Amino acid sequence: MATTSKNMNVFYRQKKNSSASTGKKSTKSPSPKHAATFGSDITQPPALVSHGDDFDEQEQVLRQFDMNMAYGPCVGITRLDRWERAQRMGLNPPKEIESLLRGGKVKLESLFDGRV
Amino acid sequence: MEVDSQEQLQRKQSTYLSLDENFEIQKEVYRGQQYSQIYFARLHMMRTLLYSLVPNWKSHLPVCTVLELEEGKECIIVGTLYKHMKLKPCILDEYSKERSVAPLIKPHNFMHQDDYLVLEDESGRVKLGGTKLSPSVYVTGVVVALHGKETSAGAFFVEDVLEAGLPPQIERPLKSREDKYVVFVSGLSIGSSSSNPLQFQLLVDHITGHLGDEEEQGFAAEIVHLVIVGNSVEISHGLLNGQNLASKDQSRLSEPFKELDILLTQIAASLPLDIMPGSSDPANFALPQQPLNRCLFPGSATYNTFRSCTNPHCFELDSIRFLGTSGQNIDDLTKYSEAKDKLDFLERTLRWRHLAPTAPNTLGCYPFTDRDPFLIDSCPDVYFVGNQEKYETRLLKGLEGQLVRLICIPRFCETGVAVVLNMRNLECHALTFGTQISS
Repeated sequence: MATTSKNMNVFYRQKKNSSASTGKKSTKSPSPKHAATFGSDITQPPALVSHGDDFDEQEQVLRQFDMNMAYGPCVGITRLDRWERAQRMGLNPPKEIESLLRGGKVKLESLFDGRV
Repeated sequence: MEVDSQEQLQRKQSTYLSLDENFEIQKEVYRGQQYSQIYFARLHMMRTLLYSLVPNWKSHLPVCTVLELEEGKECIIVGTLYKHMKLKPCILDEYSKERSVAPLIKPHNFMHQDDYLVLEDESGRVKLGGTKLSPSVYVTGVVVALHGKETSAGAFFVEDVLEAGLPPQIERPLKSREDKYVVFVSGLSIGSSSSNPLQFQLLVDHITGHLGDEEEQGFAAEIVHLVIVGNSVEISHGLLNGQNLASKDQSRLSEPFKELDILLTQIAASLPLDIMPGSSDPANFALPQQPLNRCLFPGSATYNTFRSCTNPHCFELDSIRFLGTSGQNIDDLTKYSEAKDKLDFLERTLRWRHLAPTAPNTLGCYPFTDRDPFLIDSCPDVYFVGNQEKYETRLLKGLEGQLVRLICIPRFCETGVAVVLNMRNLECHALTFGTQISS
């Protein structure tokens, strides 16, 4: 089906030209063994740290929650379900995460949702 | 004047409590999750348990995760075992270039002397060495605690193993009960060429009290429950090859169910019965198998004594706990490990506190996210498995006074043997039905 495309922007998603504006420096000195849980930037791949969309403080906190191994894998389960599961298993997940998730306005799916 | 005593024999009754809620998946929602969630749930539950047992085992040693291992440091690690098996069928074999090397006939047992075990937790995995942990005994999915140290080669040399052991058992009241019997039968395979309808009819007649003199009927009146442990029906594979069926073949598809329903109606009219799905029954493939649909049993499902149950099945009769499966878990263990007899496999699953440790690795399983329903947290009094080659039984005694009757129920279509258990003393015997007329 041929379409007269006047505006090619409709078909091709615009790429944002934002430079890596968020160079968050971690104040904690990373110990190699626990780097994955404390999430220092040295070990995190760039895609995790600075991304054009959906990046704000709340999302960063939630991403740390996603990455925390103690609460189990984050892929294939919503963040709230994962929080509730951690709660039921007696892992004492931080209450702030729950209030953030129930408050709305945040992504309910883990950071790998749609990407894996 | 004495009137002819027309004593009506009353069948004994017992209170039934179903504990299958854990195995039902109606409330589960599939959100694209994979099996990492169920492995996490299993590891977390078992690790919490093992951590509580470690101080009684070796309190002087530190407990650490796999990533925290240091060379030469003696410690205890807890994780899930993974067995690397050379002969285990792999989907990638289909794409390998040397097709001629792959054997065409799959062996019944995939063990090889080069198999080795690996211990995994969230932080990492480590190959296990030493002779204490035998790869022929263990399978993927078992959670254990290991005492040992890391070698210079990077492997973990195992000096001792701690399994969870038999779960605690709820004390049963020891009051002297009367004799009450439960009958187990499995592998009826109605619809197969080897099933003999007369044999099953004999069993039904015996249980319902239509056979024998008063003494026999008196015995039958003490049977309070019947459990049909899977594979009740066998549909010929020619009908299931995916092609459209002619109308005459369609009726062939439903014939086994009609035959089964007629027999089950006779039973249900007489005593409570539980029917579990098996590998050849029309239920879902992955464990836990869901109850067979009541529409398959138009005659017997109208009785309130008829219960369609899940596989695995857990229930209590007069507060005696029964737990059992239709055989898929033990058959999978037979393929990936070895033991002297099937009762050893049953005992191992109890010691590992897990009904089906090879699920989901080699045994189909639903991807639960928040729990592992196959974990055994309370020791049953009777632990049974169906569809085995022969009748075997053993009384297992635990270290904390647990007493479990282990039963292997043979396939009825091949052996004509049903198993009868006395709930008073957990004694077991076989009921054999033969239809050969000997001269």
